[in-house]
Amino acid sequence: MKNFENNFPFFARNSKINYLDNAATTQVLYTVPRDRYEFEIEHRANAHRSGHRLGTWVDTQYHAAKQSIATWLNVLEDQIVFNSGTTQGLNDSAEFITNRHERTVTYVGSDSHHSLFLPFYRLSKNGDHVLKTINTTTEGLLDLDWLEQELTTVDKNTKIIIAATTVSNVLGKINNLERIRSMAYEHNAVTVIDASQIVGKRPVDITGFDFVAFSWHKIYGPMGLGCLIVGLDWLRSEPVRPGGGSITHVSFDQVDWQMGAGRFESGTQNLSAIVTIPKLTEWIRQNEQEIAEHDVALARYVVSHCPGDMFEPVSFSDTGLISLLPKIGRVEDYAYMLDAKNIMVRTGKLCAEPLVSKYGSGLIRLSWACYTNKRDIEQAFNTLMEIYEKLRKHVQ
Amino acid sequence: MRNFENMFSELLEIDDAMDKYEWIMDYGDKALSLSQHLCNESTLVRGCTSALYLNKVGDQFLSHSESAIVKGLSSMICDYYNQADEASRQYFDLNTLNSIGLAPLLSMGRQNGVANLIRRLKELT
Repeated sequence: MKNFENNFPFFARNSKINYLDNAATTQVLYTVPRDRYEFEIEHRANAHRSGHRLGTWVDTQYHAAKQSIATWLNVLEDQIVFNSGTTQGLNDSAEFITNRHERTVTYVGSDSHHSLFLPFYRLSKNGDHVLKTINTTTEGLLDLDWLEQELTTVDKNTKIIIAATTVSNVLGKINNLERIRSMAYEHNAVTVIDASQIVGKRPVDITGFDFVAFSWHKIYGPMGLGCLIVGLDWLRSEPVRPGGGSITHVSFDQVDWQMGAGRFESGTQNLSAIVTIPKLTEWIRQNEQEIAEHDVALARYVVSHCPGDMFEPVSFSDTGLISLLPKIGRVEDYAYMLDAKNIMVRTGKLCAEPLVSKYGSGLIRLSWACYTNKRDIEQAFNTLMEIYEKLRKHVQ
Repeated sequence: MRNFENMFSELLEIDDAMDKYEWIMDYGDKALSLSQHLCNESTLVRGCTSALYLNKVGDQFLSHSESAIVKGLSSMICDYYNQADEASRQYFDLNTLNSIGLAPLLSMGRQNGVANLIRRLKELT
């Protein structure tokens, strides 16, 4: 496996840390803090509003960022909306849809992160918007056979929404996006896709969906920046958060919104983050194949080496992460002691409480990235087993 | 009456964080614990990742948690509080825990829980 670690300055400063909380946040590529710093000390200005050369520089970088994403993900530049992250993208999507459709039924995956579940849960408190859950199969994948059958029962006056995650942040299984897309097409359903656990790990076809959201802090990029890819059919929608920058003309009785994604990007954008995207995207594109192969190899290694007699994996992961249910002790105790050994993992409800509660009061999640190696996983498993033995003495 | 630092000076002498946790869990094993039937919504201390229960039984504060580490930590705090005079109880806060080297073991999330435990002890006094 290729060693990407040297591209991530965090590890030069924290050589003892075994960072396995990548499903929450990855470390940043070396170009990101550099580009951010350069922007702040040399080019800082606002985009789209300034006639001076600093503003022009920012505009150029802003469009370069969108071009690089468009090329990488095979979408139009005009479809890309910058925002604060996946959560904002998914909340906005729910609002776009209900602004257009008065009666909806949303099928949301039971494997969803709260950020996908909650916007539609909140809508369902209004009687015209119904929420239904797509359960997972024994393998941990969305039960699309059930969904296919269920969609045939929805009355013609109700708009179907399919809200699905590409990869659950608990189960690490890759859902069948192709089938979701064709089902949505057949039933004229609106699709909302949480792609935050797949983009940057595996090549993924996100075309043909209505809304696709992801965050850059999970793909070696800056905090506080996300993208919502908006389907072509929605580009003329009324903005859900209008403001400066989203218009071409305003009078007291007439507003002309910008064409394309610009109408959805009101206010000052997170420009110090956006300017880092061209180089980051270029690096990911150059290494995409190797990153994916590395992810596949680690997933296989993790599944085959997991000490299953002590920790029950909740699924046989395909990508990025594995969640474990310890047979002894509380997950918090494992977290405290793993931290004492410089191993950083996530424990608890994993922002997916309805799903995690099916397994127990909490899970231990190990999640990897391109700089993680087999030795890191082995060390984590060995330490987990050591803690397990310690806790055996203290837990009845 | 001993102060917190003297009471747990043994812990201060342990360098390795894992060994500190082991000591804390041992402490929790040996400590008097709140009976299961008293662990309910009214004795639950909010803000802890692991469920932590605290109540006054007679003149003694007792706690219980399913987390071995939280149980040990809360038992240490209760034991100190049970023998402390009123003035010491009043000045008891998170910084007191730091005096025996517990600070590096208490992340912000855990500190919130411990802070709530101390607040609840003061309320029940």
